[in-house]
Amino acid sequence: MTKGDKILIVVIILVSVISLGFVKNSLIKYDDKYISVQVNGEEYQRIYFDDSIIGKKIPIETPYGRNILEIGDGEVRIVEATCSDQLCVYQGTISESGEIIVCLPNLLIVEIKGIENSKNIDYFSY
Amino acid sequence: MKGTRKIILLSLLVSIGLALSVIESSIPLPVAIPGARLGLSNMVILVTLVIFGFKEAFIVSILKSSVLVLITGSVSSLIYSLAGGIVSCIVMFVGYKFFSNIFSLIGVSILGATGHNIAQVSVAVMIMSNIRVYSYLPILVLMGLFTGYFVGLSSIYISKNLRKVLKYNTEI
Repeated sequence: MTKGDKILIVVIILVSVISLGFVKNSLIKYDDKYISVQVNGEEYQRIYFDDSIIGKKIPIETPYGRNILEIGDGEVRIVEATCSDQLCVYQGTISESGEIIVCLPNLLIVEIKGIENSKNIDYFSY
Repeated sequence: MKGTRKIILLSLLVSIGLALSVIESSIPLPVAIPGARLGLSNMVILVTLVIFGFKEAFIVSILKSSVLVLITGSVSSLIYSLAGGIVSCIVMFVGYKFFSNIFSLIGVSILGATGHNIAQVSVAVMIMSNIRVYSYLPILVLMGLFTGYFVGLSSIYISKNLRKVLKYNTEI
């Protein structure tokens, strides 16, 4: 291992740790949020959080495959999928706006989005 | 090296790469991130690049990606595999050819792994048309650092010994 290798390793570690922190910071906490289900790059369904929907299972049937979402209290996860690797199931629960679950074989993205202009008092007090 | 001999050696390398890809797909990884792999077959590409050259490594990389689809049966992964393979091959060639006084094969392998990850995530962003997919990139690159290190280390030993064997065989 040469000196150049060590410098390269340190640079890559620094850049990725910094961008990891940047990604974590970019998750803004919204009070009002909804689940955006995207299939093949287009929004397929919007699910709004509601007390009556907690614990419900919502199947997403597309030509690319079937995934079953389970809605919790302000959070969502995939409990069942027809994809081969099942990575979307293992990715677990997401709750902050900006977080995503990806299922590559089924071309599915579950994203939590915040609703803008929601009771943001500080926004107007300048 | 003569034509037929070279074709046989290259096809052996392709089949070793395929076997490694199949084996690594059955090794469970502790993280649930789409696209996270050990990248063992990158060893074959790197060794081909060192012993034969860029053209041969490129051919082996493309053949490996296309035949792997016949084994796994997932056509959708072909475009990820091809994009990663082509980019990492080009990046490793540039690193090996022009910066070999700075980097050893470990550095070249890490560069290739990083290029592979960036290419695959960029393809995923384009297919899914959601820029948020890039949030997986830092973790993937960090993992690629570890696997790339060991792939580079093994490639140093493999290429050293393979050179000796090839030289010995041509003398006969």
